[in-house]
This record gives sequence, C-alpha cells and structure tokens, in this order.
Amino acid sequence: MNEVLIQQWQLVAGSSWPLLLSVVGFIVGLWIYNRSGKVSLLHPLLIATPLIYLTLNLIELDFNLYYQGNGLLNWLLGPATVALAVPLSQQLRQLPALFKPLSIALLLGGLFATLIALVMVKLFGLNDTILLSLAPKSVTSPIALGLVEQLGGITGLLAVATMVTGLAGIVVAKTVFQLTGVVDERWQGFILGVTAHAIGTAKAFETSPRCGAFATLGMGLNGIWTSLFLPVAVGLFVS
Amino acid sequence: MKKLVVGLLVLVFFHGLGELGVKWLGLEVPGQLLGMILLLVVLSLNNPLLMWLESASSQLIRYIGLLFVPVTTGAFFLSPEVGAQFPQIAAVLIGSTVVAQWFMGLLIGAVSKPNE
Repeated sequence: MNEVLIQQWQLVAGSSWPLLLSVVGFIVGLWIYNRSGKVSLLHPLLIATPLIYLTLNLIELDFNLYYQGNGLLNWLLGPATVALAVPLSQQLRQLPALFKPLSIALLLGGLFATLIALVMVKLFGLNDTILLSLAPKSVTSPIALGLVEQLGGITGLLAVATMVTGLAGIVVAKTVFQLTGVVDERWQGFILGVTAHAIGTAKAFETSPRCGAFATLGMGLNGIWTSLFLPVAVGLFVS
Repeated sequence: MKKLVVGLLVLVFFHGLGELGVKWLGLEVPGQLLGMILLLVVLSLNNPLLMWLESASSQLIRYIGLLFVPVTTGAFFLSPEVGAQFPQIAAVLIGSTVVAQWFMGLLIGAVSKPNE
C-alpha cells in the first residue's frame, strides 16, 4: 500500500514553477479558441503547446524538467478519469430499450475501431513502439494515456494521435452518416463518442443535448471496453 | 464550495482505490480506470453520492484540456525517427477512423429499427 501512495505523492511533490507555463499557455489557448467562435482547429491545446515549446526553447529549459514540474497536472488526470463515471452514470440511468443494439454496436464497433488501426499500422510497416502508442487512439485521452503508460508506448505520440483521430472523426462524420444512412441523432452521437472520444462528444453536443448524451455514453463505455480487450489485441500484433 | 471539496476528495479516494486494487489483483488495466468502474458501480446503486460529485466532476472534465498540456507538449520532443514516420502515422489515424465510422454506420443500420 505504501509503495502506491509514495508513487502518487512523488508525482505531486515534483510540481514547481513550470506548471505556471502550462496554466498561462492554456489560458491563452482557451481565450483564442473562444474568441474564434470555437473553431476545432484552434483547439486550446493546439495553441498552448507550440507556445510552450517555443518558451522552453527560449528559456533553455529541458523538457523533462518541465514535465516533472507539472506533476500536479499529470496526477490530476487520475481523479479526472474517475470523474468520467459521473456523466456516464447519469446517461446509463436513462438508457432506454436500446440496450441490445447499443451493446452490439459498442462491442463490435469498439473492437473494429482498434483492430483496423492495428492492421493499418502493420500495413504501413510501422514499428512496435509506434503500434503501442497508437493502439488506444479511439479512447478518451485520460484513459488512453493510462493504457499507453501500461503498454510501454510514447505518451507524447499518443497525445497527438488522439487529437488527430478526434479531429478526423468530426470532419468526416457528416459524410459517413449520409453514406451509411444513419439519420437518428442518438446513433450519430454514439458513433462520434466511440470513434472520436471527447472531441466527437463536444461536436455531438452542438447537434443536440440528446446527441451529446449518446456520445458521452459511447465514449465512456468504449473507454472501459477497449481497456479490457486491448492487452490481448495488441499481443496479437506485436512482433 | 463544500460540495466541490468533498466531491474532489471522493474522486481522489476512488482513484487511490483503483491504483491499489490493480496492484493487489494484478490486473492489466490502468488504476484510474478501475477507480472509474468502481465509482460507476457505486453510483448505479442509486447512491446519493451522485449529488456530491456533480460539481467536482463537471469542473474537472470542463478543464481537462489543461491537464493534457504537459503531455501534448511532449509531442514536440519526439525523436526524429518517429517524426520522419509521421505521414504514415497520420494516414493510419485518419484512415482507421473513417473506416471505423463507416463500419459502425452499417452495423447500426443492421441492428437498429428506425424510430424505435
């Protein structure tokens, strides 16, 4: 028990002033994003991170020192993941007679989303480290990050991968829904949640609260489902 | 304010519980995920705890982007070897997302009845 507690505490205790760089960078990113009328490509992270990168270069601060100094933020990802249970629980309570089709769509859809990505990684001849870093890319970032740490991938690469996946998901979703004849906004939301996690969910809330609720459901359930089968699925693909 | 503090403490407690549980049981899932599942189970028992958690969880989720700033900044420090393969990586990410959505669209067409 002590070991776990000490590990957690060390993460938090490493926090120092570089944390301010993250906070200021994020506030600037949020401000620009809101002023732009919430354009997806001006996501606060896409503005904050290059600014911080430039600052680190300017003040000649090593990335590892910066990262350690942000221990509190990294640690908070744990409780933030746990917090996802709250909206998920609220949506599960209202789960109507859709239970059966929803389960099938989740189990097969979630599995397919991961397998097709792993197959493509192999087709493009990418190595195992990259495979391990991309494997949970459809999963919401806090859970995906935990999975990559466990699998031994590169967290920085995963962060980009989830971002690209989410953005790609919301850009093509409308066309895919038209081509496959998905008109029910509940199902549209669910697909967005499963394949494009939080970015897809935010987009779904723009359609309607109902669409967003189903996206929340898809995102949360797929996070759990993917975590369960991922170690096995990855094992089939690493050489 | 009281609810925010209590809620945060409950979340931290479940996170810790998840970390310990994973270690004790030797599970292959991240600790915070087990914590989330445990909390979900407790909440599904129609527990009044939900009322105490709403404020803390919505605040944490709302600003979750901030928590990703350090790790996303790490993307600028990837090795040149990984950077060189980025076109293939992007192709995998975009391609697999489109195919997965298309698959789910067809699947849902097969399993759902309209206007149910």
